[in-house]
Amino acid sequence: MRGHAYLVGAYCPGRSVVHRAPLWLKGLLLLAVAVACFAFPQVYLTSAVLAAVVVLHFAARLPAGRLWQPVRVMLIFLVLIAGYQYLQSGPGTAWQVVAAIMATVLASNIVTASTPIATLLDSLERAVEPLRRFGADPERFSLTVSLMLRSIPFVIGAFDDVRDAARARGLERNVRARTLPVLIGTVAYARATGEALAARGLGDPLD
Amino acid sequence: MSHVLLQEASFSAETSGGSVRIILQPTTLELSEQRIAVIGANGSGKSTLLRLLNGLLLPSTGSVSVDGLDTRADGGAVRRQVGFVFTDPLSQLVMPTPLEDLELSLRRRVKSTTARRQEAARLLQEYGLEPLGGNSIYELSGGERQLLALATVLAVEPTLLVLDEPSTLLDLRNTRLLRSRLAGLNQQLILSTHDLELALDCSRALVMDAGQVVFDGAAADAVAHYRGMYS
Repeated sequence: MRGHAYLVGAYCPGRSVVHRAPLWLKGLLLLAVAVACFAFPQVYLTSAVLAAVVVLHFAARLPAGRLWQPVRVMLIFLVLIAGYQYLQSGPGTAWQVVAAIMATVLASNIVTASTPIATLLDSLERAVEPLRRFGADPERFSLTVSLMLRSIPFVIGAFDDVRDAARARGLERNVRARTLPVLIGTVAYARATGEALAARGLGDPLD
Repeated sequence: MSHVLLQEASFSAETSGGSVRIILQPTTLELSEQRIAVIGANGSGKSTLLRLLNGLLLPSTGSVSVDGLDTRADGGAVRRQVGFVFTDPLSQLVMPTPLEDLELSLRRRVKSTTARRQEAARLLQEYGLEPLGGNSIYELSGGERQLLALATVLAVEPTLLVLDEPSTLLDLRNTRLLRSRLAGLNQQLILSTHDLELALDCSRALVMDAGQVVFDGAAADAVAHYRGMYS
């Protein structure tokens, strides 16, 4: 499995201004990016937001490769969406929609890349704490979110591994051969993660 | 010292063909010694027996309890008390770096973020892994990963540590390093192994064959019995 080769969602240690910014501010900026792109769907505004996100990426001193990785993962969907929007509404809308998706994904990538998982966990736990009176378990909630982030590289890596295995047997066009093992592998990964937590007594509600 | 009790505990699983395969025959055992080894051939039921001890598996029949806590009824409490180390340390590690993985283990015990980070760093130092704290877990060697896996489980301070073939993927040097680490632990240990030298470090050993315990006694006698089965 070469999920480890992917850095999508993984923390990138650093001391940039973005790294040092509080998580609430990063979350607010991420929300602002999403609102600007999707609530006000204008080509110039979305293009400007995307440009600003790219500038922020380099301000955080993140590797240039991390800019391309999430886009590459979504490439096929972006092309399909762009093609559909082009035919339905023209090139302006096609670009606006694709740029909006890229801006939001890249912005969330900046948040996870510049925030240690422990900080993310603590902040999520604090954010959910008021819901404890309604039966919510903040610890389990934050653990779930962090494990979800952690699983992104695994799933991407699984897709690549399975694609290579299918190619080696001349099955690269066989959709079943390229998707079923990913599904099975992902379920097995989820199960293994659950066992790894159980092995340390984590994830169970406290009595 | 924990008191582990299996009462007619068995485990069976359905095969892909729909038939039921008995992996562990009904077994009654009391485990309370400081160091206990479980030896036997591949597929003899060692891992299944160990997985029953912290509730990773629940018995199909009978019951398993640790200090009076039933693994079925009090699963969460049992798991907090019984740490489990897998054969493949990569199955154990869930966070991207050693430091983050140790911090995860410490979340319940150490509430302050700063104190948790300091404690994780101290544990890394204790295990000689300090320079690797920020590296990807995939960049560690097999021995380093196994030590880290051990450290992450011990960080939650279990009273009983169960290890499933902990030295199988290690070379001689790392096996010796692991043995010396285990020897220095205060916790009660129950481990399965193919490494008979490691088994001889224990005071009691069980020999398993075809899903049942066929010998239970002093480690030296158990190893002799096991060797005799294949001579």
